[in-house]
Amino acid sequence: MSENHSHKDIEQQVSEQQKEQEVQKSPSGLRIFWREILKDKLALISLIFFVLVSMIVFGISLILDLDEVVKIDPFAIHQPPSDEFLLGTDKGGRDVFGQLIIGTRNSLAIGFLVTLISGAFGIIFGVVSGYFGGHIDNFLMRIVDFFMVLPFIMIIIVFVTIVPRYSVWTFSLIMSAFIWMGIARLIRSKALQERELDYAQASRTLGSSHTSIIFKQVLPNITSLVVVTMTLNLAANIGIESGLSFLGFGLPEDTPSLGTLMSYATNPTTLEERWWIWAPAAALILVLMLAVRNVGEALKRAADARQRRA
Amino acid sequence: MWKFIVRRLLITSPQIIFLSLLVFVLASFMPGDALTGAIGPDVKAERLAELREELGFNDPWYIQYKDWVAGILQGSLGESFQYKMDVEDLIWQRVINTFWLSLVSVIFIYAIGLPLGILSGRYNDTLLDQLITGYTYIGFATPIFIFGLVALWIFGYILGWFPTGGSVDPGVESGSIEYILSKLQHLLLPGLSIALIGTVSTVQYLRSEIIDTKQKDFILTARAKGASERRVYNRHIFRNSILPIAAFFGYEIINLINGTIFIEQIFSYPGMGQLFLDSIVIRDYTVVTALVLLTGIGAIVGALLSDIILSLVDPRIRIK
Amino acid sequence: MSKSLFGKFLFVLMLAFVLLIAACNSDEGGEDSSDNDGDDTEQNESDDDDSDSDSDSDQELYSIDDFESYTGEGDAIDGGSLTFGLVSQSPFEGTLNWQFYSGNPDSQVLSWFDESLLQYDENYNVTNEGAASYEVNEEDSSITFTIEDDVKWHDGEEVTAEDWAYSYEVIMHPDYDGVRGSSAGFAYLEGAQEYKAGEADSISGIEIEGEKTITFNYTELTPSLLTGGVWGYPMAKHVFEDIPVEDMASSPEVREEPIGFGPYKVENVVPGESVTYSKFEDYWRGEPNLDEVTLKVVSPSNVANALETGDVDLVDSFPADQVVDNIDMPNVQWLGMTDLAYTYIGFKLGDWNADEGEVNYKGDEMKMGDKKLRKAMWYAVDNETVGERFYNGLRWNGTTLIPPSHPAWHDDSIETPTYDEDKANELLDDAGYKDTNDDGYRETPDGEELVINFASMDSSDLSEPLANYYIQAWDKVGLNVQKLDGRLHEFNSFYDKVGQTGEDDPNVDVFMGAWSVGYDVDPSGLYGRDALFNFTRWANEENDELLAEGLSEEAFDTEYRQDVYSQWQELMVEEVPVFPTLYRAMMVPANERVVNYDISVGSGVYLYELGVTQEEPVVE
Repeated sequence: MSENHSHKDIEQQVSEQQKEQEVQKSPSGLRIFWREILKDKLALISLIFFVLVSMIVFGISLILDLDEVVKIDPFAIHQPPSDEFLLGTDKGGRDVFGQLIIGTRNSLAIGFLVTLISGAFGIIFGVVSGYFGGHIDNFLMRIVDFFMVLPFIMIIIVFVTIVPRYSVWTFSLIMSAFIWMGIARLIRSKALQERELDYAQASRTLGSSHTSIIFKQVLPNITSLVVVTMTLNLAANIGIESGLSFLGFGLPEDTPSLGTLMSYATNPTTLEERWWIWAPAAALILVLMLAVRNVGEALKRAADARQRRA
Repeated sequence: MWKFIVRRLLITSPQIIFLSLLVFVLASFMPGDALTGAIGPDVKAERLAELREELGFNDPWYIQYKDWVAGILQGSLGESFQYKMDVEDLIWQRVINTFWLSLVSVIFIYAIGLPLGILSGRYNDTLLDQLITGYTYIGFATPIFIFGLVALWIFGYILGWFPTGGSVDPGVESGSIEYILSKLQHLLLPGLSIALIGTVSTVQYLRSEIIDTKQKDFILTARAKGASERRVYNRHIFRNSILPIAAFFGYEIINLINGTIFIEQIFSYPGMGQLFLDSIVIRDYTVVTALVLLTGIGAIVGALLSDIILSLVDPRIRIK
Repeated sequence: MSKSLFGKFLFVLMLAFVLLIAACNSDEGGEDSSDNDGDDTEQNESDDDDSDSDSDSDQELYSIDDFESYTGEGDAIDGGSLTFGLVSQSPFEGTLNWQFYSGNPDSQVLSWFDESLLQYDENYNVTNEGAASYEVNEEDSSITFTIEDDVKWHDGEEVTAEDWAYSYEVIMHPDYDGVRGSSAGFAYLEGAQEYKAGEADSISGIEIEGEKTITFNYTELTPSLLTGGVWGYPMAKHVFEDIPVEDMASSPEVREEPIGFGPYKVENVVPGESVTYSKFEDYWRGEPNLDEVTLKVVSPSNVANALETGDVDLVDSFPADQVVDNIDMPNVQWLGMTDLAYTYIGFKLGDWNADEGEVNYKGDEMKMGDKKLRKAMWYAVDNETVGERFYNGLRWNGTTLIPPSHPAWHDDSIETPTYDEDKANELLDDAGYKDTNDDGYRETPDGEELVINFASMDSSDLSEPLANYYIQAWDKVGLNVQKLDGRLHEFNSFYDKVGQTGEDDPNVDVFMGAWSVGYDVDPSGLYGRDALFNFTRWANEENDELLAEGLSEEAFDTEYRQDVYSQWQELMVEEVPVFPTLYRAMMVPANERVVNYDISVGSGVYLYELGVTQEEPVVE
């Protein structure tokens, strides 16, 4: 259910945007982020932690042989942690530690991919809609409305049963298809405001092309918002992925993810006695999501602060 | 206002039609059908083929869609193959359960979220606030299904405080006081599980909202005028901060539906979410279609509700 | 700004937790060795370790022979009540009528309050122990049944021959939309097809000879009739007569107040969740032992807890992958019997000819056409290890296509391939499958790359590990086997791919699934030339002959039929269109207080005798 957080957050920001009427152009968006993060030790630690985990996970998984990790060993089923298996083994005698590494990589990859794809699409959609306004805006917003009311968990489940080859990529695409609307709406409302501001009006009178106005002026001014939203989305996406795995519509076991590891906890004995299979994954999700969130919050504060300063 | 509602409904009707088309097209891509589950050595393939023909499973999706629309016009959503009963009756049985679960969850969400949010906002940066914030952090990061499983295990089985499945005790006469109590008892644990995780966004939102409002001019004015701290909070800050929360109530519905899918599965609670998952697996398309549409309509109504509340609350947002 | 101290603290705590988990591991091994002696050495040997030095409790071995299907006779108290857990992820459908039900959950609900007039022995032959007895009239190919005198419906009406005839009329009715009505009892019944087509008002082959006597006339007699072919469930005509057939399944008489003549009658139905029963004092075998039975749905992930806490006394089945974890549960006795099912691996050897309605075997053209290749793949897999390691012996190496659940027909003297890597390699070398381009995999005799696509059904928690294990095993003998689409297939998509509608997916070469077998041993529904579910699309004349002989009138002679089916089992081992991988035990836990209960068929212990030894379930 974690998706509702991001949803709420977005709504929250929209309303905040509505209140903060006076928005000013500021050239140094990223630098302010950076300063805010350096100032907030918690966010800094979180960021370092997150980057570190990502590097470790992506690094090790380059060396790690996936075939070896998901190799079935009938003589090593459900082994508790030991020197040989750092985090024990699962029901197929597979090394949980290896799966945890690869699973974290896959989950992060899904999180990133979904965030990027849905973010990119949502931004383009929102900017176009907000910038051009009028009928185009009206029409595009009807599309967004349509997607907004789709019971997306249900539709994703239907999609999952249809796609023949189910991998990190297809999964990310399916997910992206149903969660770009939040960003699109957010960006659109922001772009609507920007459009009315002097600089945009001015450039238009000066004869700049639409694309150049969008890319050179409108977009840079909403970067802060984009970064914040996408950071928070990243956390939610990891949550959705694990939820679907739990319902049995997640990735195949050969493509371990944090979600598949946790869904092993549906077996009551695994939940109660074989903690080494699911608890590390659960803890990792918890910590990763906290870290992402801490960074996101700091970014949000930075974005707010920037607006207030004006 | 009424003009607005009518207009919104007019706008949303194409959405419903799109959604129904989408479901039929998707269904035609799904492998297997409602008869696949019957395969076995004792069932003759010829009989299945015969039934497929009879039930129209072999028709292309647009024919099936046409038949379905014709059925709707006559007031029928079709018959569930698996349950051998009318879809509307079947869904009604389950929707009621999900409705109660959602209602209880919503009550818990606000019963937990409002006080915590207010406390946390009012006494921000105290130990109490940090405790509450800590809880929201954990709540944010905990997947609801893990939370549900653990809650069921501890409170359902180890401590035995709550029933562990179903929506009512077996054999209780429907309609009696006992029946209602039993229903309620079955709702508590799943409802709480949804709420404890679901409420964190309300808490966080309320907290930041209150902290924001505290520094607004009109509050400072009220204070300057000598209004008591209690009055300032009850009259001004709380009222101002609560309104947007009321406005998001409608959107809450969509989130609840997503949340109940998990919780119903864990608590064997026979509601819509569970019915949906089952129907997907056994390819009971009439039920799948009806459920997706119903949920879609629920979401539309929820969004409409939110917009209406929002416009009542905040005159700045004009309804065109 | 929230500089939440607590948040920071929490975060550090989490971090510490993760580090702790990582750091603990080296200690973990040491700690664990206290209850797990020789942990380290065990790890090192684990690959070649078959002996019992492996002291991990998870790896204890069991055998179906260690379990009884009977709880034993005990001092049942008078009355008492019992809670029965229906293990299911989903609610039961609630079509509470044998004519209309469609899934196992409903049949579990049904069997408490309604039963068949026919009783079967342990070989699934009809006996005269049931509510009706039979007599075969060979000269006019008919069977006459007589219902016992005191068999009554729950409302006090007699169960009559007319009720029995009525159930046939409902099932064969043109408006009937259930899946029943194709077993031998209908297929061979005279006049049934005419009635079904709407050309006749009644089924001419059914003669009601008195209130309690009925004769079914068949076009020919086949042994299948008495091994599950005859439909034995009557339908209360006085209740249903006025309801149109198409409305029956949704009527309250089926869903809310169902009627039967079994030992318990339905008191209350909570749709999809639970049913309460009370004893039916006029039950024809005698007054049932228990006063009350409650049936409720329990999800597979909760059932172990429900049993341990006494929440349920007895269940219909127990998730196979959890049995071993719970086998030491103190308050529970485990009943076991050989399940009427087997897992198999099949090879695509042709396709379906829809015009002729028969398989189109084209062995030589198919990738898996070489018998030696198929046999080598059988030799390459170690089913014994799979059974021992994944199921702790509660599933075991399958040999022939008639499982030991049918002891009269299963031929255990047949020699079948068992794990032998050398033999597999030898067969492949012989057949000309050699690695000619040194990529580690064998090529076809023509020197082409050989990639075998494997479709496996996703049916349990262990499906994926098992599929991967088989692929690894084939890899070891140099066969490049790949999962079709890179994943397992849930049953809808699996059956679509192997050809449930006759359109086989040409990409499937090998597939793994499971069949449950009916009472009737006749395999022609799965392996006959005209069987759509013969997914291998293999057939030959010998197979046709044997299957026909098994259904012939001579086959009423058990020894003759046994011989026919032994030959058939041997033929299938020889030709290997399919090979069985595992047979399985069905394990059912029951609370210690449950007595006089038997899960097997033909035990002579009946449901009305079921009792409990104390008022409350045994806990701990």
